[in-house]
Amino acid sequence: MRKVTDGSTSLKRRRFLQGAATTGAAAAAGCLGGGGGGSDRVPMDVTEWPPEDLESNLNLWNWYDSWAEYAIDAFGEEFDVDVSNSGYSSADQWYSQLQAGNDEIDNIAATTNWVERSIENDFLHEIPVDVMPAWDNITDRIKEASSYQQDGSVYGVPESLVLYPLTYNDEYFDSAPDSWGVLWDEEHEGNLCMWDNATVSCQIAALYTGQDPIQPDDYDEIEEVLIQQKPLLQTYWGDYQQGMSLFVNEDVVAGPLTMGRTYTARFQEGAPVHYTAPQEGAMYTSDLFVIPQGAPNPIASLQFTNWASETENAAQLFETMGYQPAVDISDELSEEDAEFTNWPDEWDLVFSETLSDEVRSRYDEIWTAVKAA
Amino acid sequence: MTESSRSDGENAAESESGGTVDATDREMAAPDDGVATTDREVATDGGTASGIDARVSDLTAFLRDRPRLRTLSIAGPPYGILVFFFAIPLLAMLVVSFQADQIGGAWTLRNYTDFLTSETYLTVVWRTFLLSVQVTAIVAAVGYALAYSIVRFSRRTTLLLLLVILPFWTSYIIRMYAWINILQSDGVLDSILNLVGLPALSLLYTETAVLIGFTYVWLPLAVLPFYASLTNLDADLIEASKDLGAGPIRTFLSVTLPMTINGVITGVVLVFIPTFGSFITPRLLGGTNNVMIGMVIENQFKSAFNWPFGAAIGMVISVVVVALLVLATRLGGGLFGTGGETS
Repeated sequence: MRKVTDGSTSLKRRRFLQGAATTGAAAAAGCLGGGGGGSDRVPMDVTEWPPEDLESNLNLWNWYDSWAEYAIDAFGEEFDVDVSNSGYSSADQWYSQLQAGNDEIDNIAATTNWVERSIENDFLHEIPVDVMPAWDNITDRIKEASSYQQDGSVYGVPESLVLYPLTYNDEYFDSAPDSWGVLWDEEHEGNLCMWDNATVSCQIAALYTGQDPIQPDDYDEIEEVLIQQKPLLQTYWGDYQQGMSLFVNEDVVAGPLTMGRTYTARFQEGAPVHYTAPQEGAMYTSDLFVIPQGAPNPIASLQFTNWASETENAAQLFETMGYQPAVDISDELSEEDAEFTNWPDEWDLVFSETLSDEVRSRYDEIWTAVKAA
Repeated sequence: MTESSRSDGENAAESESGGTVDATDREMAAPDDGVATTDREVATDGGTASGIDARVSDLTAFLRDRPRLRTLSIAGPPYGILVFFFAIPLLAMLVVSFQADQIGGAWTLRNYTDFLTSETYLTVVWRTFLLSVQVTAIVAAVGYALAYSIVRFSRRTTLLLLLVILPFWTSYIIRMYAWINILQSDGVLDSILNLVGLPALSLLYTETAVLIGFTYVWLPLAVLPFYASLTNLDADLIEASKDLGAGPIRTFLSVTLPMTINGVITGVVLVFIPTFGSFITPRLLGGTNNVMIGMVIENQFKSAFNWPFGAAIGMVISVVVVALLVLATRLGGGLFGTGGETS
């Protein structure tokens, strides 16, 4: 075959290969992405408040979707920052991004145990809480409970308290059940549910059997009672919406559900539900604002963290999602809402510390065995 | 240009002058015979060729002189994508599966021994297998009947096929929630049954609900290959079978099914594999007794944080599923002859 030479530039072999190589390299770079991008500035550079020269963009990863919508408008308008939010359903979605080298995410609403893992792996920026005015708004209760520090450095600012209560139908029950035993009561057979979550369900069983849910001493008993419970249940719910729907449709009368979903079911869906912490205790954890290493807009993220911890903005978290903010918002609430958010002092609440690998592994084995039984 | 399939199987195309020119001839024609430059000469405005057209022609000519490079440039990108997005991740998963506790941990075989020696996990695998076989059998039966009806008894094939693939335009999760509304107590199904005086079934959170959900989700995947193979089936063969005295069942078993077995196997593969790895459908529609191995794997990655163990389970399941499918394919071919050859 002959080469076409019609007066146009003929394609030389070397030039073609160079072009191909360049294209390939560009494609590979695009596929691989950049690792560890970010700004030259870091949050700890801020020594006075307010910080100056905010970046013009802010990329949130906040799973409180409705509150994030409010924040996008309110914060964006106040500080002239273009805010976007990527809602997520599972923490491993953002954690894997941090593992790969973050160059996109500025601010994450992260659950405590994932924050701990991130701190251990040096994925987070230290935060200068001493210069942040809103830091004083965070209640002592949550400051003491949450795990967000290491060697005196602070890597997160608490956003909310997340209770794992016993949710119940308050028309079916005359008063709040006072024991997790209600989930093992044959009287309610077919009208109960459990959460398809190894840790939560095993910890409920641990509390029910009088064990330490963080470090139980009799795994066999936990497995045994969960297997005993199985015929009494309608289902194990695996999705928050599904769990809430079980109560809204009155398919179940009692089971574990988050406080936020209970709030939504009660006040937005009109379901006859309430929640309680049984006498054996209930687990709770916290979500925190963190600024990941590689954040392209770290100073805007820091400003956002402070803004979100201001009372009126924190109150919106409850108004939109039903979760207890880390800030005392009692003055902002109606009587009905204040009653709903009140956690009586007599409640025995156990902070959900990060489990050891052994306990987590055993819980996982137990839960698989229970579901396969 | 309109392409038609000739009896000898070669592609022919109408040239601008109305005659036919073999595609092969057009590709191999010398540039000075006036064919190779057709693309440039026949510009949309009928005028001079643009600079881009010229460059394309130069590139085409350059590659024509270098068949190996041409092959590489054509086959390279798809193979590259396969390697980059399939082979490398699979290899990474294999490597991780031999690490202890977390990525980067010590090398170990423990993940495999823990899984393969655990009665619990093997029970889950066995249940998953049984459920997948059930789903595949139901989908194959329903899908084949549906495809056969579309091909043999309807003129509105395009519309019917569109209706078959229509559910794909809606999110998987949304479709599952729709089934929750249909199957739940006092849901759509129970309401209809009550209207006609039948007792409510309350199917949600049962194995039946899982089977219904899977059947609904995978049916389009099966119907399309079934339809493709049935379309190629020569109806005269069926007539000949009947002329020779075979009844409908004998005709189906000795003519129709063997001639379309490749489409059936394709449909079975497309249904069996995703069912074996599913975790959303059993979680949303199943009750307390519908754990599948996909749910266990998901849990290792999302809750237990034991990625190596999840990777090990994934690798074992991948090998098992591929082995089963190879076995089924060979068995299928053995039962029905070569199948699918319409020449």
